[in-house]
Amino acid sequence: MNRNHLISSFSIFVFLVIWHLMSVNYFNPILIPPPIKVAAKIFEMSEDGELFFHVWASLYRVIVGYFWGCVMGVAIGVAIGLSSLLNDYLDPPMQFVRNITPVAIVPLAIHAFGLDEASKYVVIIYGTIIPVILNTATGIISVPKIRIQAAQCLGASRFEIIKKVVLPSSWPFVLTGLRLALGFAFMGVVAAEMIAADTGVGFLIMQSRNMLLPEQMFTGLFMLGLIGMATDRTFQFIINKVMRRYMILIMAESGFKKT
Amino acid sequence: MSKLLLTNVTKNFSNSSGEVTCVLKGIDLEISDGAFFTLLGASGCGKSTLLNIVAGFEDVSGGEILIDSHAIEGPGTDRTVIFQDVSNALFPYMTVFENVEFGPKMSGQRKSDRKIAVEKYLKLVSLENDADKFPFELSGGMKQRVQIARSLANEPDILLMDEPFGALDAITKKHLQMELRKIWQETGITIFYITHDIIEALILSTRLAVMTAGPETVLKEIFDIDLAEPRSPANPEFAAMYQKIEDLIDEEIKKRKLDE
Repeated sequence: MNRNHLISSFSIFVFLVIWHLMSVNYFNPILIPPPIKVAAKIFEMSEDGELFFHVWASLYRVIVGYFWGCVMGVAIGVAIGLSSLLNDYLDPPMQFVRNITPVAIVPLAIHAFGLDEASKYVVIIYGTIIPVILNTATGIISVPKIRIQAAQCLGASRFEIIKKVVLPSSWPFVLTGLRLALGFAFMGVVAAEMIAADTGVGFLIMQSRNMLLPEQMFTGLFMLGLIGMATDRTFQFIINKVMRRYMILIMAESGFKKT
Repeated sequence: MSKLLLTNVTKNFSNSSGEVTCVLKGIDLEISDGAFFTLLGASGCGKSTLLNIVAGFEDVSGGEILIDSHAIEGPGTDRTVIFQDVSNALFPYMTVFENVEFGPKMSGQRKSDRKIAVEKYLKLVSLENDADKFPFELSGGMKQRVQIARSLANEPDILLMDEPFGALDAITKKHLQMELRKIWQETGITIFYITHDIIEALILSTRLAVMTAGPETVLKEIFDIDLAEPRSPANPEFAAMYQKIEDLIDEEIKKRKLDE
């Protein structure tokens, strides 16, 4: 572990040095400010609370939108997976719609819901719900038939089979969908904030362009990277704590063997 | 009174263009309580179809199946299936203990009773020390033993086994065959076994049927197996029986080749 930390710290350091030299000697500083100036800006905005304000605005929208998108997505995905009728009706339109990125939905959302919070949530929920539905439905359909038959022989009712065989077996797929959806949710919120908000990291980045504040723009980009990493880590942590035995299942399915 | 009685069982399948194939045509079979019955036949002759029908996963197109004189209505806890693909048949997110506990749990037994049952059957398959492991930590042979314990824990009348040892290496297979025979002798359960391995069939069974090659499969011939114990291919009677059966199967394969 230590060796890996050293290597990554070193490569980050080298990257920063190259960035600094290029910025000072080569790039237009209005375009790409040196890392020291960006760091100073981050510090300044943290101190006066402005950074936290915008980060929290974005984060709050994502948390709420993502939560509802996941709940609805899992419910719909399970329904589609369990009912071949629903699947026949809903799968073709879903396969079509999945290609329409949440970013492209932003103008439609604004058109329909104006500039207040609703339009942001629509975009986030859209970005979340589609991958969750698709992955959940796939998971349900992928449960091995013989596993269900085995449960039938052992006396499980239809409801018990769904609860104790179908749903647990599809968890790895559902988790894949949830993780994908998190990425789409962030993509959506940033896009929505750029066009139709006056708070949030997306807004911050767009405002930096309008007001020619490159250090602020890079601060915004840096925060996006940081938030993304932090939420993904938190996601993994929660999963490990809550769903440990399904993590075992996922690791097993990918060929991991306990020694 | 027989444990399992099949009378004129027929099964047709129709494909998407409406063509009907008759897979099983008029199967008559009687299996007594406590028998070890084996269905032998080349691949594709419909052995698994017949097992699926007896298990209740498929309906018959004609004929009748009676267990203890009752008709079958879908899957039931009196007939438990042991599948060849054990990794998918077991519940990978449950421990060995929880897998075996599943049947008793579904039939509403109290926790303390369940524990006794699980421990009893884990001991029977020699896995009492692996109760807290997950299936992915086990070898193929151990997984299959878990499946056997899980099926027995529910104390079914009939154990339906679909080429359960087909995916295992020769050594593990031999051990499990011996263990299965011991378990059968100790529990007195009725077993309906499917295989294409003649030697396995002769080692394990008290009764054996050779299926004709499909389609429209019937039972070509039924034997009562009364070979000396312990069953061994080195025994001349065993070898003679082996030859007889092999000839029957070869005959069927030739017939099928001629038809193609």
